[in-house]
Amino acid sequence: MSLAAQAPRYRSTVILALFAMVAAPAVLIIYQSFLNAPFFDETARPSLEAYEFILSDPEFYRALWTTTLYAFGMVVVAVPLGGVLAFLITRTDLRGRGWLEPLVLVPMFLSSIVLAFGYTVAIGPSGFVTIAFRNIFGAAPWSIYTLPGIILIGGLSHVPTVYLYVASAMRRLPSDLEEAARTAGASVWRVSLDVTLPMVLPALVFSAALNLLLGFETFGIPLVLGDPNGILVLTTYIYKVNTIFGAPTYQVMAAVTVFLILITLPLVFIQRRLLRHARRFAAVGGKGARTNLLKLGRAGQVIALSIIGIWLIVSVFLPVGGVILRAFVENWGEGIRITEQLTLDNFRRIFELPSLSRGIVNTILLAAVGGAVAVGFYLMVGLAGHRNHGKTGTLLDYSVLIPRALPGLIVGLAFFWLFLFVPFLVPLRTTLFSLLIAYIIVGLSYGLRIIQATLLQVAPELEESARTAGATTFRTWRDVVIPLVRPGLAGAWAMIMIVFLREYATGVYLMSAGTEVIGSLMVSLLTSGAMDQIAALSFISILLTAVGLTLALRLGAKIHD
Amino acid sequence: MTDLVVDNVQKWLGGLQILSGASFSASKGRIVALLGASGSGKTTLLRCIAGLEQPEIGRITIGGTPVLDDRAGIALPPEQRKIGLVFQSYALWPHRTVFENVAYGLKLRNTPQSEIKAKVEAILEKLGLAHLAARYPDQLSGGQQQRVAICRALVYEPKVLLLDEPLSNLDAKLREEARFWIRKLILELEICAIMVTHDQSEALAIADQVLLLKGGAIVQSGSPREIYGKPETFYAADFMGTNNVLAGKLVRHAGKPDAIDCAGLALAGIWKDRDPPTDPASVKAVIRMEAISVTADAVPDSAPFDVEGCIYLGEKWEYRLKRGDLRLRAQGHDELPGPVAHCRIPASATWLFNP
Repeated sequence: MSLAAQAPRYRSTVILALFAMVAAPAVLIIYQSFLNAPFFDETARPSLEAYEFILSDPEFYRALWTTTLYAFGMVVVAVPLGGVLAFLITRTDLRGRGWLEPLVLVPMFLSSIVLAFGYTVAIGPSGFVTIAFRNIFGAAPWSIYTLPGIILIGGLSHVPTVYLYVASAMRRLPSDLEEAARTAGASVWRVSLDVTLPMVLPALVFSAALNLLLGFETFGIPLVLGDPNGILVLTTYIYKVNTIFGAPTYQVMAAVTVFLILITLPLVFIQRRLLRHARRFAAVGGKGARTNLLKLGRAGQVIALSIIGIWLIVSVFLPVGGVILRAFVENWGEGIRITEQLTLDNFRRIFELPSLSRGIVNTILLAAVGGAVAVGFYLMVGLAGHRNHGKTGTLLDYSVLIPRALPGLIVGLAFFWLFLFVPFLVPLRTTLFSLLIAYIIVGLSYGLRIIQATLLQVAPELEESARTAGATTFRTWRDVVIPLVRPGLAGAWAMIMIVFLREYATGVYLMSAGTEVIGSLMVSLLTSGAMDQIAALSFISILLTAVGLTLALRLGAKIHD
Repeated sequence: MTDLVVDNVQKWLGGLQILSGASFSASKGRIVALLGASGSGKTTLLRCIAGLEQPEIGRITIGGTPVLDDRAGIALPPEQRKIGLVFQSYALWPHRTVFENVAYGLKLRNTPQSEIKAKVEAILEKLGLAHLAARYPDQLSGGQQQRVAICRALVYEPKVLLLDEPLSNLDAKLREEARFWIRKLILELEICAIMVTHDQSEALAIADQVLLLKGGAIVQSGSPREIYGKPETFYAADFMGTNNVLAGKLVRHAGKPDAIDCAGLALAGIWKDRDPPTDPASVKAVIRMEAISVTADAVPDSAPFDVEGCIYLGEKWEYRLKRGDLRLRAQGHDELPGPVAHCRIPASATWLFNP
């Protein structure tokens, strides 16, 4: 195609710039891991000290093992549940399917630090439910501060990710395939097992691989729930390494990160291959044909609604309710009556503390304005890759994978280093720009996927007809492509806004006085145990997410792809 | 004046050659049809002319300007080729009104506003679309969309108008109308038009010259009458029309007309292939269905056939006839009364080819 070869200079400039942006943090981390001191220290020499240290630290092995257990445990919890939920909601005549769907997705939109905190205040050792339960039954036989508890909560909170992929595969499944089996003599349940399940298997496998990756990169849930009992995963080990040494030990953090990348990078590549395979399967389907729903029957309805109800109570109602209640209560503990404690003091105090109130403003700015900038940036990149079958197109494909293998915490750390020492970046470090750039990289794969999907909806002839009428490539983009994708861009903006609102890990190292954001503030408040403030911030975070989500739905954003 | 010259265009896709040296030229006021089965490379050839595909080898000249020359390293992008292309799907921009769709090409050429208005209105008027100027494409019928697409490609007076299956999205009645007015319009405007089609009757009805493509090469080129009435290869003869194809042995005696021996029945015919017979033991005969006359009673030179069935098609009957292993399709105005009918197959209509 000669069209793809058009505007080659623009394409290669943008894609090479993007590659530099994603490769810089990774390269810096790998370089740092092989030094015996911070890379900006004059005494820094090449060394394997950092590796020697972690490989002789039993705490590291424990964290590695815990992370592995956590990642696989999460898959074991999330994939079957997500698959069952997707099946019930998309393929059966379950009552209330319409309003259940957005509800099922709620945990996905909340930052996991908020979720984890919600569990602490709801069913933690002195949570509302725990205390109420103990008052009635004498004891509460659970503890969420244990590894099984953390795994269960991590798994439940990742059910929506599985749901999203499996439900979209099930929707795309044309009903004639199932009808063919029905007419051949198979019962409805037989068909589900023999036709539906194998057809959505690629989506199940893909979401399992995705959750495995998310499990290895997890930070918020183990940080909040694992810390009280000293349960560490790789990311929290990196975060805690400083406290162990009492001074920043960048080389050790970098070396642990390199280990993490050795695990996540292959996972990212496996996922990429799986996704292609899944797409090929889906392509068999053709149009989103009208699907005949399975009749559940009375007993079936009761069982199905109970499963979903219990999941909703545990995954949405408990944490969100906990946060809401705790935000309006002071000094919570055993033997205190809620009705006597209701107050707005938590919020008042937040607005009295400049760093916290600034955090709220910054979060909104970063999400709304930064989200728009990010969409603009993703659009530039998307156009550079649009119908680009050349070498730069391949480079773009791989560039997008790099940040996926890096947890947000690490991307933030690497950018913190870059902004400390790259001359022309230094003045930007204490502005929101530094955070925005890191956020853009963290959100790259998600944001670019939305933009690329929107761009692909423009039929190639619409572009070709502009070219034959006499328009250059840029003119075609300006006059045909961009006007046609404009509604999709608004939806993309809203979705990226939500991603930026819930981000907490990226700012942990990068934020400074003046550039605080809610999520990262909560991470630092955790160490001081300021529960009242965390609760109020969590409440505000949930509120902002709800506003963002309403906006997204108004703007017609597509939540499922 | 020759407005388009295509010379030895070759294109590969991976290891597969999809155009193997197509050459032709076309001039003002003439319509050339690229006719072929799917996969024959006709659309690829059109897209190469438009600059939407890049052939590895070949030269193309539009209006005297070389737009492609592999040796000189010339490959102009589509926007510099002075062409108009009508897409199969019409590809009207959904975010622009009919007027804006048509005006776009003029706007790109920096035409003054007043002139744009006059030209667009004139061409919309000519194609009976003036009252639809303010509408959006999704508010138009298929036939109206097609006319807008033609206006859009014509309004800036391109050197060459390219049409990619322009009629395939219309229903049958509209299609027959469109054949007529599209040809009339192009002759009136005296432009050079190249049309891709897989429909032979469309090609015959619209074009002044038909190029029959197979496997990325032109098998035969000529006026519609030549293509239909004087095919030079078995492929060309069989592709056009509805045919009886018989396989047999060539019987050649000095002083006598050629004949084909099919399963014991000898049929007199004429050798039409551009090449002499390669293997007399295996030749093919093509007999157009309408060339066979069928009667209930024997006539001179007729042969009796068993009637297997008669199919009523409205304006005519189709007959299925059989004699030994030999089967024929023929047509007539009435149902055949008995189990046996007599066929007369003129020697001039029995065309013999190398297979």
